[in-house]
Amino acid sequence: MKTARIIKSSFMGLGKNKLRSFLMMIGIVIGITAVTIVVSAGLGAQKKVMTRVKKFGLESLMVFAGGGRETGRPSSGQPVTTLKLSDAETIKSTIPAIAEVAPFNRQGGGMIKYKEKSSTAMIFGVTPTWAPVWSWYTEDGDFISDEDNSRMARVCVIAPTLQKELFGDANPIGEQIRIGNVLFQIKGIMEARGISPGGGDMDNRVYVPLSTYMRRIANVDYIAGIKIRLDDVEKMNEVVVDIQSILRERHVLAHDEPDDFRVITPKAVTEFAKKVTGTFNIFLVLVAGISLISGGFVITNIMLIAVTERRHEIGLRLAVGARSRDIRFQFLLETIAITFSGGVIGVLLGFFGAFILRLATAIPVLISWEGIVLGIVFSSLVGLISGIQPAKRASDLQPVDALRG
Amino acid sequence: MHIIVQTKNVSKVYQKNGGVPIYALRNISLSITEGEFIAIMGASGSGKSTLMNIAGCLDRPSEGEVIIDGQAAHTLDNEALARIRNQKIGFVFQSFNLLPNTTALENVELPLIYSDRNNISGLAKEALNKVGLADRLSHTPAELSGGQQQRVAIARALVNDPEIIFADEPTGNLDLRSSYEIMALFQELHEQGRTIVVVTHEPDIAEYATRVIKISDGNIQNDTSNNHIRKAQEDLKKLIETAEVK
Ligand SMILES: Nc1ncnc2c1ncn2[C@@H]1O[C@H](COP(=O)(O)OP(=O)(O)OP(=O)(O)O)[C@@H](O)[C@H]1O
Ligand SMILES: [Mg+2]
Repeated sequence: MKTARIIKSSFMGLGKNKLRSFLMMIGIVIGITAVTIVVSAGLGAQKKVMTRVKKFGLESLMVFAGGGRETGRPSSGQPVTTLKLSDAETIKSTIPAIAEVAPFNRQGGGMIKYKEKSSTAMIFGVTPTWAPVWSWYTEDGDFISDEDNSRMARVCVIAPTLQKELFGDANPIGEQIRIGNVLFQIKGIMEARGISPGGGDMDNRVYVPLSTYMRRIANVDYIAGIKIRLDDVEKMNEVVVDIQSILRERHVLAHDEPDDFRVITPKAVTEFAKKVTGTFNIFLVLVAGISLISGGFVITNIMLIAVTERRHEIGLRLAVGARSRDIRFQFLLETIAITFSGGVIGVLLGFFGAFILRLATAIPVLISWEGIVLGIVFSSLVGLISGIQPAKRASDLQPVDALRG
Repeated sequence: MHIIVQTKNVSKVYQKNGGVPIYALRNISLSITEGEFIAIMGASGSGKSTLMNIAGCLDRPSEGEVIIDGQAAHTLDNEALARIRNQKIGFVFQSFNLLPNTTALENVELPLIYSDRNNISGLAKEALNKVGLADRLSHTPAELSGGQQQRVAIARALVNDPEIIFADEPTGNLDLRSSYEIMALFQELHEQGRTIVVVTHEPDIAEYATRVIKISDGNIQNDTSNNHIRKAQEDLKKLIETAEVK
């Protein structure tokens, strides 16, 4: 009750000196605006990366045939023929931390025909493990089975985009389509997955047994890659090293020869994205930090002047029974109230700025409660820190000294 | 009779580092009894304000004892002194000391903010009513005359129902008529049983008190009871009549 009255009395004083309150707020508003933009942009970028990584699978890694850079395409245009199905089997059987491997081969732009309709799609040769490794299952019908692979069956599973193209709304299961020159019977339809991290349509695909793909479609004895799922994410780094040594040994690579394969982990994807957003964030964090610190100094000095100007008020409050801690509380509260208001304005301006940023640039921006909490906590903290010295000076005044002159 | 304030051998010394010590008060022993209306007189710099501030727990003596309502105030910490000022003492200052841009009501509420009482605006209204300003609750100091501002200050001193009211030259900034009005108000409060101490250097103001203490150079020069108490209300009436004749 008493505290509530002191709080109310402090706030009354604020409205009565609007110019002073305004000057004290400017620095905080700029600082918190910057903080909010940083947080919004940072979270936006983070979310974008995380959705990418999630699509890829946090507990997954990928081995691609062909050496070269960590991400992107292999350096030469020539297909690399050294990665074999037996590599996948050896990796699976020698590394215990691996739950499942899904070897695959693929080619883009394959001609697919149904009666007189035709379309192009990516053709994948896969084993049954493909589905659990990607956590990607059939919407309808069945996925490629082990038996399909051992029989080299001419069956396939199609993805929704291709299904729409060729069949519209009709049920395609049981129908025959022509992939290249070979007829395949459709046994299932995949769940939709949307756009891939690289920007491709993950639903414009047709899956066939890997053995069928290798013999009847591509006529090759090698695979394009192996998607691997771990039991224990913690072991990711060790597994990468093990895979490297197994493959180097099996591919008989000399010491000075580079890898003829690439291993891609979710960490590599995340770190690449972090590098890009990092530079931008450092800049804004600097702006935010500098304006908050200088804003804090300005506030301390204005409040110190206010303490001198309001000596009579302090003396009077002491004379009518305020304790020095009531005075300290009042001045601290006034300072925090001002920076808090500055923080609220800053958060609003920051969201506005973030919105503009999203419209004007490709930077993804996420408006979130983290931004609000951070802005308000930061601004109150600046108020608390910069208010301590003035509040102490005010509460150190003795009643007679404050009332005199 | 109940003694509200007692000073025993109170001295106040100011000494700038290395300089000669200045004695603002020397060995003052004094008792203020319930129901008294005391005027403290003396030349400028004689120590009137210093005495009042020490007796009112705004300041501490360099030496000696101050007993408020039986409590040894000179031994108490600042927080306990703040409580005494809040509960037992009301102050009125020469320059009113109202908060600017703040209504009369809010100004009078100020001591209650720091008390444990409830219904603060009700008590504040009651106090403003007592000083005749029931119709000026929402006026700010800038919208009030000097006499009215001082009456707001008196209401503020009254609002905590204190044991004693100290007024340091309450009429120092006022014209004659307002001075009479303020002194009439003090006399009225005194008749209702209030204990009042007024510091002044105007001898005619002292004539409204029941007891006059003269201070000179930090010493009590004489301490007499007033046998010819004037009535401020009558002086005010006369002043108004002569003004009307003119
Ligand atoms: N803070 C201080 N430092 C030094 N000297 C002081 C201080 N306060 C008061 N004095 C001195 O103490 C003496 C008494 O001062 P005080 O204010 O009590 O006088 P007063 O009787 O109230 O005078 P006035 O009628 O002018 O108000 C004066 O000589 C004054 O200069
Ligand atoms: Mg004085």
